[in-house]
Amino acid sequence: MLYDIRQVTEYSYASPVPFARQVLRLLPVDRPGQRVVACELSIRPQPTERHDTRDFFGNWLTTVAFSFPHSELRLETRARVLVEAAEAPLPMLTPPFELIRRNAVAESDLGPQSPVHFLFPSRLIALDEVIAAYVRKSFPPGRPVLDGAFELTKRIKADFKYDPSATDVTTLPAVAFAQKAGVCQDFAHVMIAGLRTIGLPAAYVSGFLRTEPPPGRPRLEGADATHAWVAVWCGRETGWVGLDPTNGVFAAEDHVVLAVGRDYSDAAPADGVIVTSGDHTLDVAVDVVPVGA
Amino acid sequence: MPPRGSLRRSRAVAERAARLVGHYRPLPGVADELIGSDGRIRPHWQRFVHTMAELGGRELQHRFSLADRHLAESGVVLRVYGAENGDERPWPLAHVPFLIAPEEWRQLEAGLIQRARLLDAVLGDAYGEGRLAADGALPASIIAGSPEFLRPLVGSEPVGGHHLRIYAVDVGRGPDGDWWVVSDRTQAPSGAGYALENRIALAQALPDIYRAFNVERLAGFFQAFRAGLNALNRHEETRVALLTPGPLNETYFEHAYLARYLGFVLVEGEDLTVRDDTVYMRTITGLKRTDVLLRRLDADFADPLELNPASRLGVPGLAGAVRRRNVVIANALGSGVVEARAMMGFLPGLAERILGEKLILPNVATWWCGQTLERDHVVAEFDRMVIAPALAPTLPGILARGPVLGANLSPEDKAKLIDAISRRGQDYVGQEAVTLSTTPVWRGEGEDARLEPRPSILRLYVAQTADGWKVMPGGFCRISDRADARAVTLQQGGTSADVWVLSDGPVAETTLLASPDKVALRRATSTLPSRAAENLFWLGRYVERTEQALRVVRAIARRLVDVEAGSGAVSRLVSVLTSSGAADFEKGPAQPARLALAALTDRENFNTAPRLAEASRRAASVIRDRLSPDAWRAVADLEILLNRPLAAHTGSDMHERASEALRIVAAFSGLAQENMVRHNGWRFLEMGRRIDRGLAVARAARLCGLGTGGAELDALLEIADSQITYRIRYVMQAARVPALDLVLLDAGNPRALAFQAERVRHSLSSLPGHAPAGILAPADRLASRLASELETADAAALDADTIIGYEQTLMRISDEIALAYFTHRRPAQPVEGGD
Repeated sequence: MLYDIRQVTEYSYASPVPFARQVLRLLPVDRPGQRVVACELSIRPQPTERHDTRDFFGNWLTTVAFSFPHSELRLETRARVLVEAAEAPLPMLTPPFELIRRNAVAESDLGPQSPVHFLFPSRLIALDEVIAAYVRKSFPPGRPVLDGAFELTKRIKADFKYDPSATDVTTLPAVAFAQKAGVCQDFAHVMIAGLRTIGLPAAYVSGFLRTEPPPGRPRLEGADATHAWVAVWCGRETGWVGLDPTNGVFAAEDHVVLAVGRDYSDAAPADGVIVTSGDHTLDVAVDVVPVGA
Repeated sequence: MPPRGSLRRSRAVAERAARLVGHYRPLPGVADELIGSDGRIRPHWQRFVHTMAELGGRELQHRFSLADRHLAESGVVLRVYGAENGDERPWPLAHVPFLIAPEEWRQLEAGLIQRARLLDAVLGDAYGEGRLAADGALPASIIAGSPEFLRPLVGSEPVGGHHLRIYAVDVGRGPDGDWWVVSDRTQAPSGAGYALENRIALAQALPDIYRAFNVERLAGFFQAFRAGLNALNRHEETRVALLTPGPLNETYFEHAYLARYLGFVLVEGEDLTVRDDTVYMRTITGLKRTDVLLRRLDADFADPLELNPASRLGVPGLAGAVRRRNVVIANALGSGVVEARAMMGFLPGLAERILGEKLILPNVATWWCGQTLERDHVVAEFDRMVIAPALAPTLPGILARGPVLGANLSPEDKAKLIDAISRRGQDYVGQEAVTLSTTPVWRGEGEDARLEPRPSILRLYVAQTADGWKVMPGGFCRISDRADARAVTLQQGGTSADVWVLSDGPVAETTLLASPDKVALRRATSTLPSRAAENLFWLGRYVERTEQALRVVRAIARRLVDVEAGSGAVSRLVSVLTSSGAADFEKGPAQPARLALAALTDRENFNTAPRLAEASRRAASVIRDRLSPDAWRAVADLEILLNRPLAAHTGSDMHERASEALRIVAAFSGLAQENMVRHNGWRFLEMGRRIDRGLAVARAARLCGLGTGGAELDALLEIADSQITYRIRYVMQAARVPALDLVLLDAGNPRALAFQAERVRHSLSSLPGHAPAGILAPADRLASRLASELETADAAALDADTIIGYEQTLMRISDEIALAYFTHRRPAQPVEGGD
């Protein structure tokens, strides 16, 4: 499926910001199952400095600095991306989770795709025995890893309430888990925390959902803003498989990957240091439209 | 046959020596420094004990107290971690040094250098190609699982090629007498400065012994380390900077001390800024490119943009500057990754693979539970193992406070921990339980003192220099208070001893001051960060404000005791206090005694003497590297004195306290005047003092000098410290016009407003940037105008409005100084023009 993606992020500051420095992850890159045909990120006002590099996980990292007072900031991504998701592996045919657990620790690759980066606590995701107890119910001895992980994805969809007022961007997984409510970021964090605690490698994925569903399918939750889901490592052969606990589905043709990391802090669309005394408002609009639709 | 006296003397020495060591019994199964495995005193200790006996217990006691006093006077303290308001303890120096014989040292030295090379190479691979992991020599999980593996730095090769430039190793002697590495410190090792201070204190207290024992000097090591960093400072726009987390850090004293000793600029994160991937220091002369940082800030906190976003201590964009190879950081960001305990299990193999050598210095045997065989071994030998976090300093749960001894756990905890290890073994290591060797410490008083064995551990340092790796011939020995302690840290009590590396022959004398690289003239030696300038300025203002409050309190106290002194002026003096904020205005002048007491002892109002002294100390504490130890001591003493409860609330007591405090202020002023070089830093301190003194004298003149009452004018002359001059000059009762002339307009009177204005003007004119493009900067213009107004004013015509005008000008000067030198946020600032 070929998509045209447009994301506009607008900041409005209560008092002018004299100096700001930000890192942006707002440009998609080629990933297995997705090819970026064209993309650009335009920034208004024009930053004093701008550098585009790749970060460790291969995401585009745009570093900008503004050294003049500004009251507004507008970031606009335009991209055309071809998504050709491979056929999802049959969950029952993936290796037992115990084997995955063992192989992940023993993996010798230190590159960005290696499961070793996604096995350990990260900045926003601590190991959590309470969440692990919930997750373990999907992993009785010998269960194929993806079979268990997909069941877990559906359980989270069923057990948690989608409620943007329940959490904010800084809510920790333990809190979201305790209240069984939150948004895509929280569900992804909870699922990752539980999987890692039982020894399975799990990554955080941020990206976009197709805005309008194909005819006859329900509209997915999270299509109005940047979405987030989880990728689980299912062994060298199968590799990483995307699972969307917010919607209880595999991440497939409707999901466009923007950035990958250990948690939100690795994949945050915008992060930075600004010198300001006042508050700010943020407005994000996303359109993901199949080309020719 | 020797003369009889000497015979008697040598017998007495032998008796004393016997007393010192007669009851010394090494702990069973533990190696000891004093007594060798053959049960005899080791030869170098034999000599040392003999020398101690020659001096005698009383003399030694005296010498040791000199060392303690030296440390206290140098301001060497131990900061208690986490204490909010600077809880500091005296530095616990163990007076008997730790001795290392020459041949043993050579072995240690070779082992340490090998280990530094090895860890540096492992770091280079972890942040480079990752071959060690790919080839199975080192599990990828150990690197990826370390919280110190900083992914934004992957692929960046440090300028100069070394991730490690200063490396510390904790070593202990095992029961078989061999040295073992207990832990590696590669992040930002602390303690080298303390090693220096211990050395200076002890060498001064025991100069004869120190010389007689051919102890290797430390200065050469620091010289080489410094030269190595200076060589990387290619632009030389600023000196090498020592990046500290700031005065709340437990080792801040050491940061300040090392910066001063090495000639580096002490900076905090906010002193630096990154523009176009280049690091700049914010100085009073604008942004100056900075090439080299000696880092004492944990790497994760170094860049809120790409590393820990919660950090308020770092420099946004620093990681980017590193990637672009525009800055050298020692040690490189991310070098902490090889501190992981799990790494130790692999070092013997890595040494053979990378260096083609056997590991000279073994480390504590370590089994990483991320591997099946190793995990099974740890579980099987659980009770004989130390169980520790493999990759991070702590782990939630049973290891929340660090390693535990398997045998010490309750059956429930043991079962829980084994279960956790079986599920996520990668988080755990088992380590051989190490017993540390004991070293003699001095216990008891005078002639009854004895040596007793206490467990100890050494911290040794290796630095990268122009001539390759170099080991500090000495170090830092931590000694436990308890005879059976396993791990030793100073946070938990214990003492620290100097480490004497003995040489076969005489050692070369070196001092840091004579080093050749210091002789070369450096343009940038006067780098003054804006933040340091700001704190010097406020130190000046607060000290002066303290002095003024004390003078008024003393004048009131004197009048309360001695009615002859003119009690009529008391209410005026009280109004001086209240208008300066040293006492509460609401309560009015009805109770002068209470208000004066409040100004002297109260902590509630902001401008009381104790609060001002505290503010002075706070300002001084962040620029400790720029103050002499004596000046720092004076500021600290002032705060201590003024926060001590007053014995009795009498006028005489208040008078005495104020006088005592004023003597400390005078000492500080003298040190600032006589001992501080007239660099830019001094000028800010000076301007701060002058502005506050000017404000105080103008305010006092306005409140006490505009009436005609002789008592009020006397009070004005007293608090302006101008009585004697007045009496000599006029030989008459105080009269308004001559008094005002003396305290406001007489530029020859160092207490007069005119004098302050002239000094401020002069300091400003000596600062860089005082007249950009030939036009006076705003502060300069105001100061020049004030000075000339005062020069031409007529004392008889002075009224309250005019004086208030002077005060306002002084305050505006202060604001303009702040704008011009302390912040770099002003659009008109030329230094910002480049971007």
